[in-house]
Amino acid sequence: MLVVIAAFAIIGPLILPDPAAQDLGRYLEAPSASEPLGRDDYGRSVLARLAHATRLSLVFAALCVGTALVLGTSAGIASAWFGGWADAALRGISEVFVALPALLVVLLFAALAADGSLWTLYIGLALVQWVEYFRVVRARSSLVLGSPAVEAASLLRLGPVHVLRRHLWPELRPLVTTLAALGMVTCILAVSTLGFIKVGLRPPRAELGLMVTEGFPFYDVAPWMSVAPVAVLFLITACFLGLRRSEVTT
Amino acid sequence: MSLLELRDLAVRHGDTALVDVADISVKSGQALTIVGESGSGKSLLAHAVMGTITTGLAVEGTMSLDGVHYDLADRANRKHHWGRELALLPQEPALALDPTMRVRDQVAEGAPGFRSRRKAALRRAEDTLGRLNLGHAARAWPHTLSGGMAQRVAYAAATIGGARVLIVDEPTKGLDRDSLDQLADLLTEHVATGGLLITITHDLHLARKLGGELLVMRDAIIVERGPADRVLTTPEHDYTRRLVAAEPSRWQYEWLASPLADATADPAAEPLVAAEKLAKSYGDTELFRDISLEIRPGERWALAGPSGVGKTTLGNLLLRLGAPDEGTVRHHNAVAGGRLQKLYQDPALSFPARVRLTDAMRDIVRRHGVPPGRVESLMATLGLPESLLHRLPGQVSGGELQRLAIVRAMLLEPALVFADEATSRLDLLTQERTMDCLMSELTRTGCALLLVTHDRELATAVADHHLRLDQAVHPVAVP
Repeated sequence: MLVVIAAFAIIGPLILPDPAAQDLGRYLEAPSASEPLGRDDYGRSVLARLAHATRLSLVFAALCVGTALVLGTSAGIASAWFGGWADAALRGISEVFVALPALLVVLLFAALAADGSLWTLYIGLALVQWVEYFRVVRARSSLVLGSPAVEAASLLRLGPVHVLRRHLWPELRPLVTTLAALGMVTCILAVSTLGFIKVGLRPPRAELGLMVTEGFPFYDVAPWMSVAPVAVLFLITACFLGLRRSEVTT
Repeated sequence: MSLLELRDLAVRHGDTALVDVADISVKSGQALTIVGESGSGKSLLAHAVMGTITTGLAVEGTMSLDGVHYDLADRANRKHHWGRELALLPQEPALALDPTMRVRDQVAEGAPGFRSRRKAALRRAEDTLGRLNLGHAARAWPHTLSGGMAQRVAYAAATIGGARVLIVDEPTKGLDRDSLDQLADLLTEHVATGGLLITITHDLHLARKLGGELLVMRDAIIVERGPADRVLTTPEHDYTRRLVAAEPSRWQYEWLASPLADATADPAAEPLVAAEKLAKSYGDTELFRDISLEIRPGERWALAGPSGVGKTTLGNLLLRLGAPDEGTVRHHNAVAGGRLQKLYQDPALSFPARVRLTDAMRDIVRRHGVPPGRVESLMATLGLPESLLHRLPGQVSGGELQRLAIVRAMLLEPALVFADEATSRLDLLTQERTMDCLMSELTRTGCALLLVTHDRELATAVADHHLRLDQAVHPVAVP
């Protein structure tokens, strides 16, 4: 299912018409064979906009999660490895972020750059998300690093690369992949939430949350406009959560 | 006079018989002890009697207790007897206790009438603990107890319900001699007061102390039975003979420490490890102080003493894996670069858990330029099939994995090996095999040994130099 959505997000924008192309004559056109999801209040193709919005969400979330993962994991390992003041400093920084509600940080960043650009959202979300990787990785790493196996490796003079590759990474991989699947969901929902309350990305960009808001005034005459993006959000969330369960059991 | 009889007891997994025993009877006033190596089916037998066996295994047979018959295939028909008639003292008592409950409260839960008369149950728990010399620990949390104390608390919890039939499953794992003697006294008392006792163990010492009837199990069947003192002094079956000979005090190897011959070491040689006036304490508890010792090439040292006195801590200080509070540890150049190795009590924890053993070994071979074929030849010497390497550490038995750990340590041609209770969790035959492998390799390479153990016989059999740590802080060095 996730593959289908991803394919839709990748191929859709290539073959479907321009999502911003307006045709005011086809104002709120109902779904038909040639236009499966109908047209919106500016006569734009809902299907094309949906494809673009999905691609934006997935790519953006992947970018945020990737950054947070790399940042959080390396900080977590460093913290457990070096201990002492490095650990104290990193923990201090992470606690600052934990103390602030996640959306507040993102809102703050979104407000700092008033143009609602992707970059501010990206930095904001990555900053919010790295903390959970950091904390989980740090806790697990300090357990692993204190284990007899790592002590034996140090007596065998196997070096830090061996410890990273053979001891830490095999233990951490299932944890961070699970976290990443959850992180994708959080990220996509956060972006669309911000779009929905109109502090995130700005129109006319096709974005799932924005599309829901834009569709609301016309709910009685053109329900497809708001139902379609909600359905996509729901499917993506369900898929990632399902993915997470298989990660845990394997 | 009560009597417990088991007839045609069998436990199967698919077509494989794990336990196949025709008849066993236990009389009150006479202990029944079942000995055998790991995997012989002893513990399964205990769980089959209790009805606590895992559902994947099929059980057959009948049990009769005072003339009442029970079908063992039905796991639930003995459940109402748990605690009142049948009780099991589980393996690893420290893990069997609830870590979130104080000792007295969890012992009281097993007392008769705990639900209706809680005060009386608590008083009874206190009495029971007091009789076991644990009165001071009634309010303690399980994690603060030593292994021996946890064992006695578990005993109190298992017997407070007044069960006549007590099944004890491998009580000796990781216990030192003193705790073991205390436990043996408790079990003997249970028998003397008319209780029925089935003890499952691989420790012949305990079997000898309990006396009574002895069954020797191997590969699901009983190979020999008879009075304990007869079986242990004049064994008839070949396997029993090997088992009895596997006790460290009866070992016969070239590498044994002999009191006559001078130690292999050259007293003039530079010490590999020289420790001076070491002291270490955890919090307010002082483990030891003023310990000085020098380990020279080829010497064999044993650190003995009951559990919890800081033997492992001292060993780690000598390897510079920890820092002493006072004193210094100097290492000779000969032990630099990985020529100091350690064997762990639980070998499974000393290998990276999610990495195949081939990869773990190949890392060492690459890193240190070990000549190709050395792993294979060492494994052959230690009697390990090469196919073991394709497994994960968790899929190899404890004895084999410990021998693999010896292979791993020997790859670096160490000058000193620190064996930290390396065989204390293995059964006698496996322990003998493992120690033989280790000592033969050490003798061949002239490597020194630092052995930490609570088994005095093992220490005597192996080491030329002894250091005893006792509860009292002052150690006694015996040259």
